[in-house]
Parts: sequence; C-alpha cells; structure tokens
Amino acid sequence: MSNRVLPRLLQTPAVLLLLVWMVVPLGMTLYFSSIRYVLNSLRRPEWTSPSLSNWRGFGNYEYVLNSKDFLFAIQNSLFIVCSILFLTVVLGVMIAVLINKSFPGQGIVRVLLISPFFVMPAVNAVLWINMILDPVLGLQGIAVAGINNILELLRNWPILGGFFSLWPEFEPMSFRATQTSAIAVITMVSWQWTPFAVLIFMTSLQSEDQQQKEAAILDGASAWSQFRFLTLPHLARPIAIVVMIQAIFHLSLYAEIEIVSRGNGNKNLPYLIGEFSNNNIGAASATGIFAVILANIVAIFLLRMVGKALMD
Amino acid sequence: MAHVVKSSKFGAFGRPVLAWVVGLLFFFPIFWMVLTSFKTDADAVKPEYLLFFKPTLENYLNMTQNYDYWRFASNSVITSVFATIFTLFVGIPAAYAMAFNPSRATKDILIWMLSTKMLPAAAVLYPMTFLTKSMGLYDTHFLIIIVLSLINLPIVVWMLFTYFKEIPKDIIEASQMDGANTWGEIKEILIPLAWGGIVSTALLCFIFCWNEAYWTVRLTTTDAATLSKLIEGNRAPEGLFFGRLSAVSTAAVGPIVVLGWFCQKQLVKGLTFGAVK
Repeated sequence: MSNRVLPRLLQTPAVLLLLVWMVVPLGMTLYFSSIRYVLNSLRRPEWTSPSLSNWRGFGNYEYVLNSKDFLFAIQNSLFIVCSILFLTVVLGVMIAVLINKSFPGQGIVRVLLISPFFVMPAVNAVLWINMILDPVLGLQGIAVAGINNILELLRNWPILGGFFSLWPEFEPMSFRATQTSAIAVITMVSWQWTPFAVLIFMTSLQSEDQQQKEAAILDGASAWSQFRFLTLPHLARPIAIVVMIQAIFHLSLYAEIEIVSRGNGNKNLPYLIGEFSNNNIGAASATGIFAVILANIVAIFLLRMVGKALMD
Repeated sequence: MAHVVKSSKFGAFGRPVLAWVVGLLFFFPIFWMVLTSFKTDADAVKPEYLLFFKPTLENYLNMTQNYDYWRFASNSVITSVFATIFTLFVGIPAAYAMAFNPSRATKDILIWMLSTKMLPAAAVLYPMTFLTKSMGLYDTHFLIIIVLSLINLPIVVWMLFTYFKEIPKDIIEASQMDGANTWGEIKEILIPLAWGGIVSTALLCFIFCWNEAYWTVRLTTTDAATLSKLIEGNRAPEGLFFGRLSAVSTAAVGPIVVLGWFCQKQLVKGLTFGAVK
C-alpha cells in the first residue's frame, strides 16, 4: 500500500537524530583513541592538535591498561553498581510487600516514599555528604557526639559506672576518605532508587493472582512459602527490568562521585575519563572505548534477559 | 489457623506502623533539608538548635544575592521546557509510525533506540566539548536543549509507543477510510485520544531534563548553566553554609518533587516501557 510510505517515513527524523548523536561523537572518540593527543605539551607541541601524523595505534589502550587506576576503576564501577542493585532490589521487594495491603494513610506513605526519586543527583549528593554524613557538622557527627556525652554521664554513675568506663569513645566516620567514599555513594544512590524499585514492584503486585493466594492460604501455606513460591516468581520480570534500567543509569554515575570525594579512592570509569580529559585526550578516548565495551557487555546480557518481556 | 491469626494481628497494627516508619525514614533527608533551609547558617550547625530554632526566611530572601538563583532557575526552565517540546515533536510521529504502521524492523529499531541510552556519556565527553566549542554552540541554550532532547528521545518514543498501542487500530483505519491524511490523523484523532499518555510522557521528560547532571554541567559555564551546575559548583565542603545551601537545594528540587507526586503512576509505565502492568 502506497499510503503506508509516508506514515513509515515519520520515524526517520527520530532515527536519524539518534544515529548522528551516536555515530559522530563515538567515531571521534575512536579516532582520538588511536592518535597522540594532549591539550598541553611544551615538549611536543605537535601533539596538541588532532592529526593522523600523530598515529599511535593501540598505544593509548596499552597506556590505559597499564595505568594504576584503570583496573581499580572497573572493579569499583562494578562494585558500586552491584551493591546498589542488591540493596535496592532487596529493600524494594520488602517495602513493596509491606505497603501493598491497604492501611490508614497508604496514599501518604506512598508519596513520602517516592519523593527521593525526584531529587536531582547533585542535591542528593550535597545533602547527604554535608548535612547527614559529615563527621562533625552533619547529623552523624551530632549523633556520635550525643552518644559520647551520654556515655560520659553514665561513667559517673556510682556502681554501674565501672561497666561503662570499659566502653570506648565512639569516633565519627569520615565518608570523604579513601575507604569510605564508595559507601557514601552507594548509600545516597540506593536512597534515591529504592523508591523506584518499590513503585514498580507495587504496581506488579497489584496484578498478582489473588485466587491462587487464597487457595494457598486454605492449603495452610505459611506466609513465607506464599511469598517464596507465589509472590517472588511473580516479581521475576519486574526485578529483571529494575536491574536493567538501574544498570544503565549507574554505570555512568558521575555527579555523586565528584561531589563526595572528587574521586578520591572512589573512581569509576566515567570519572577516570573525566580526569584523563583534563589533558590526555588520547587516553581519555581509549578509556571511553573501554567503557563502551563494558556497557555493551552488560547491555547484551541484560537485553537478552528482558528483551522478550519488553516486546510482549 | 495460627498463621492467619498471627498475620491478621500484624496486619492490623504492625504493618501500618512499620510502613509509616519506612515512609518517614525515606522522606527524612528531604524533610531535614527543608527544615535546615529555615535556619540561619550559624544555627544550622549548632546541635542545640537541631529541632527547635527561630525560623527565618533570610536564606530564601538572600538566594538571589548569594547564588544568583533566578538565572540558573530560568535556564533550567527554558532548557527543560523546550527540550520536552522538541522531543515530543520528533517523538510523536515516530511512535505513531511504529505503533500503527509497524514494519519488520520496528522491533529492532525500538531496541536499538534503547541501546543508545546505554552508551556511557563520558565516553564521548571530549568529542562533544570539541565539536560544540568549534561550532560555537558551547554554553548555549540551543545546545543544551538539543542534548537533553536526544538523551530523552528513546524513553519518550518507548513511552508514547506503549500508549499508542492501546488505541484500537480500527479507529485509525476508519479515519483513513474517511480520507483523512496522515497529519490530520495525528492531529485530529491520535493526539486527542492519547492526550493523557502524552501529558504524562511530557511530565516525565521534563523531570528528567530538569535533573540531568552530566551534560548540563560539562557543556556549560555561565550563560546556559542550569540548577544542577549551580548546586555542583557550591558544594561547600566545610559546610559552613548549611542554611543557604538547603534553601537553594529546596528551591531547586521542590517543584519537581511535587510534580513527581502527580505522575508517580505514569512513571511505572514510562520507565518500564509498559512491560510491568
């Protein structure tokens, strides 16, 4: 039918725009990754403009592979993503099951719960690292100081005081430090994305087969086995989708990492690219290609898992 | 029987209490931010004024002076609104074509669109900076609008596609019989029928544009800088300015959180591409 041609052509602007958006910058990244290209170099000024005569082949890739931060950045990227996925899915299922049955104020609790999801990432990070997790001025610092004050009072008790004087002073934790900044990032991102998981699991729970559940109750199935053998299988598909969408977002986490510790002890691939981009564009581009490869591995894996579910 | 009795006891009292506790815990950081925004910078770090203090509007009144809030806010509004409009303008015809005139490639195109979202933005950071600077687009509203549109186009097409698919094909075909042309079909039939879906898609797209924090920070300096840039640039690590920082943060996220409350149900559909019902 010829009158179908125009309607079909209507998708071309969208497709073309996305194609250009994908191909042009990626092609340039590929090009920059195989030449020597730095922004500032007094010794080798010819490297400061992109040109084929500075061809380096796979040299940048080798350089990146041997740089001390690279493997750590990959490990850390995966560690952060997996931790967030685990926390949000487990908490999300628990909370969704908890608030699924109607109770007084269910609507309000829903609104309270979903709110963190709409907070912009920069505000999320600034709020948590300063006002909540700061070891001196934040709520953490105030709480630890409060506990120490109470302990101090208890130590002066006549008889029991001896027991409490065995207790140590509590030390507040700094979340900007090398070992802990990843924990801060995981905490704040999980806070933001658990609501998303809850919302999706709740929607899915509404379509759970109630008759099957009633039959299970009549058969004397315990609450746990109902959950294990009816609810959890029902949630398999939404869990897969939550995992996919979050993996997409969290592999490119940036603002939180920058704000918490400026990448101190907590670099992920996007952050490493940002650091290289300050001068060594060749290395930054090679890292970028590695990031694309990593994202593709994850994406192929995930799309296999949920691709069918999407098209049903 | 024992289980039934036990669970109903929990259901009557324990469940609501626990649910409320969880809800309040998750909301607490936002509540804390709003509360702190009414304290002076000096009071905000004093434990004795933790909950009881003399509320002040000073932080909000000084926002323009301290942070030039309105410039960033108006940039956020301008870029988000126009990006949403442009995305719908490109997305509605595409979703229409895919929903009502699917070809064998439609499925693959949709999956491919989604896969463009998986490309790490950082991988093309330098080329984007290079290109936009050499074209003179760096730090312009136009650039941010285009970038925000392209980032959100896949999700918008997917969302619209799932909404359009719910419209019975007969209605569209009947209008074709009546001799309506394609534009007429979209304008007279599709848009009115799918109005609810289009509005929620637009709201969600607007929220994503507003909260975007990679390109809006990296491709701007002053002229087109949005609220994300403002907040990221002012993360006082010494934390001496909790009061004013809270006020500007509250002003940056407040409108969006409220908007989000209204479209939380559509969010599920939009973000799961209709796969969770």
